[in-house]
Amino acid sequence: MTDALETLRQDVRRWLAAHAPQGWREYCTSNEAFLDLQRRWFATLAGGGYAVPHWPAEWPGGGRSLAEQKVIYEEFARADTPRLLLSFMSTYHAASTLFEWGSAAQQQRYIPRILEGEIWCQGFSEPNAGSDLASLKTRAERQGDVYIVNGQKLWSTMGQFADKCLLLVRTSNEGAKQAGLTYLLLDLKARGVTARPIHQIHGDEEFAELFLDNVEIPVEDRLGAEGQGWAVAQSTLSSERGLTLLELSARMRGALWRIADLIRAGGRENDPGILRDFGRLATKIDATCAIADQFLANRIAGEERVGDASIVKLSYSRTLREFTLLGLRLGGMDAQYHEPITFGGGMETGNWMADFMNSYAWTIAGGSDEVQRNIIAERLLNMPREPKSWTLAGDAA
Amino acid sequence: MSMTRAELQDAAHKAFDPADLVPDAAKSWGLIAEMGWLMMAVPEELGGLGLGVEAAGVTHMALGRALVPGPAIAQMLVITALTAADGLPERDDLLTQAMGGAVMTASLAGYSVAGGLTCVPDADRASHVLVIEDRRIALMPVDAQTLTARATWDKTRRLFDIAIDASATGFTLAEGDAATALAERLQAQRLFALSGDSLGGADAILRLTIEYLETRRQFDRPLAMFQALKHRVADMKTWLAAAEALFWARGNDPAVTLAEMGALKAHTTTVYRTIAEEAVQLHGGIGLTMEHHCHLFLKRALLNCALGGDADQWEEMAGRQALAQATA
Repeated sequence: MTDALETLRQDVRRWLAAHAPQGWREYCTSNEAFLDLQRRWFATLAGGGYAVPHWPAEWPGGGRSLAEQKVIYEEFARADTPRLLLSFMSTYHAASTLFEWGSAAQQQRYIPRILEGEIWCQGFSEPNAGSDLASLKTRAERQGDVYIVNGQKLWSTMGQFADKCLLLVRTSNEGAKQAGLTYLLLDLKARGVTARPIHQIHGDEEFAELFLDNVEIPVEDRLGAEGQGWAVAQSTLSSERGLTLLELSARMRGALWRIADLIRAGGRENDPGILRDFGRLATKIDATCAIADQFLANRIAGEERVGDASIVKLSYSRTLREFTLLGLRLGGMDAQYHEPITFGGGMETGNWMADFMNSYAWTIAGGSDEVQRNIIAERLLNMPREPKSWTLAGDAA
Repeated sequence: MSMTRAELQDAAHKAFDPADLVPDAAKSWGLIAEMGWLMMAVPEELGGLGLGVEAAGVTHMALGRALVPGPAIAQMLVITALTAADGLPERDDLLTQAMGGAVMTASLAGYSVAGGLTCVPDADRASHVLVIEDRRIALMPVDAQTLTARATWDKTRRLFDIAIDASATGFTLAEGDAATALAERLQAQRLFALSGDSLGGADAILRLTIEYLETRRQFDRPLAMFQALKHRVADMKTWLAAAEALFWARGNDPAVTLAEMGALKAHTTTVYRTIAEEAVQLHGGIGLTMEHHCHLFLKRALLNCALGGDADQWEEMAGRQALAQATA
């Protein structure tokens, strides 16, 4: 740790002591409260210069190195601030894609509004295009200066609260399925757009589905060329550079007291079985923190390999499942009685059934554990891919 | 003297080729001494190389990777204890001998037995054995009459029981509080070494398993093409990578506690055992024969699980510590 980073750490810590919201978990008992808190906290962070440290230096609040960003997020985790769930897609996915593919005019139009609080969501997945994203079917037909878009999108994080959407559509059925995709910027207030929140199994509503019925999108709101959508989408999907899992792992480490409290409340401080489970969990969390840390160090050094990120994500998702399951187990019958959830409360809220159910978010979303295992086996370890063509017995020839 | 982890790994691999499993014991021991591995942790002013935790970690991983026989872990414990024995007149002489490869050994057991030592590698070749008592650490001469060879299932290690003659004179290396502190340091060093050995072995058997899956064909395709098997390999790689990251993080943490080192050893040996178990299964019929190398890794993994205190003991202690520290 260099002196400059240590100085930054102390600066962030002092700033958070003065500005971090207090009592927010108790406050966020509804979506309205969640939105209010998220908007205020984002504005505070933007004012303090900590909302978009990963942006290029020419934009306000940007220009921080990965090492500096790591310090900032470690301090956020330490102070247990609310995570920026509402603006996450805007500051990472939308901004990074615009920086890489947007024209000067597109950047000038959209980037400053993100700092003012404009919310973006992502319209990639569809009911029949999940892990196999390139098979998506939402159709865009060019008519003069506009595209006419019809289809349905699913798993749009914060889609019901968003203003804009990063939309991946099909403009052609010719050739490889990736080659027929185009990337558009959709105004969710346009005519023909319907957003419907999806109630997750623990009761929160972090996702929406979007229905697009003859929606008009101006051609000037296209990113990249027609047919280049798959390449643009790769920028979106790789916009987050390993900091989130580092932060989340640190938060899980910091939340161990919630399980410790359950052990103490149950008078089980000397139960060897429970102590072993707790010791094993703490060790696995430390291992996850260590691999996330090493991943970022490799990335800073330019030594990241394809598949390394999948190891971090799989490590985190499996450990989170164990964390929440131990909480649920120790919670006993109390955990079975329904308690109102904290909206946007993060992965460890102490509402154990909700936390356990919510932990699936990391084993399924953002590339399921099974997809991560494919990537690790086929791309990191170079094991052969499965044959692409197949027929089931009984299928018509 | 300072070398990067990659340079150290490169040197270690040149010494012990992972393709040459269970190399000859006498040649290996000569090579270990020749490479300076026995002197690497000793400060330069005492004739050592003054290398730190990176070198130790890489060395133990290399020894584990090729299933190298011999008392390296035990000998390094003796050398650490000698290094700390500032007041002993014979210290420099003993240290020179030990660094040169004259075998001096120590117990790798996780618990002590009244009247003797267990799990002492290569005691029949050793001139001295380290005896760690409550408030005294001593180097005692080995009397061949007091040795009992214990044939372990793991044939890559040779363990002995030793009856200690309390009337024999030895060299006192530390006493009182200093002995207590040194005993804890030695325990942490043993746990770290066993962890490195386990990670090296796990890495080797995982690679060999992947190679086998890529070579072996059934149903007109390499086994490596089946997703059911690929996913198991991906899980193994993930456990191993995270365990290795934890190994370096704890090894380099100056504030690490004994319970945390114990939990590291519990974790890395569990990962090794699990990967070795899976390796036998994924090799199918050949995996459960003596003709193939899988069993060598599985048996060394199982022995590593038992040496230095088992997972139950360390996880309980780590849980107790984490419980005491975890407050809102």
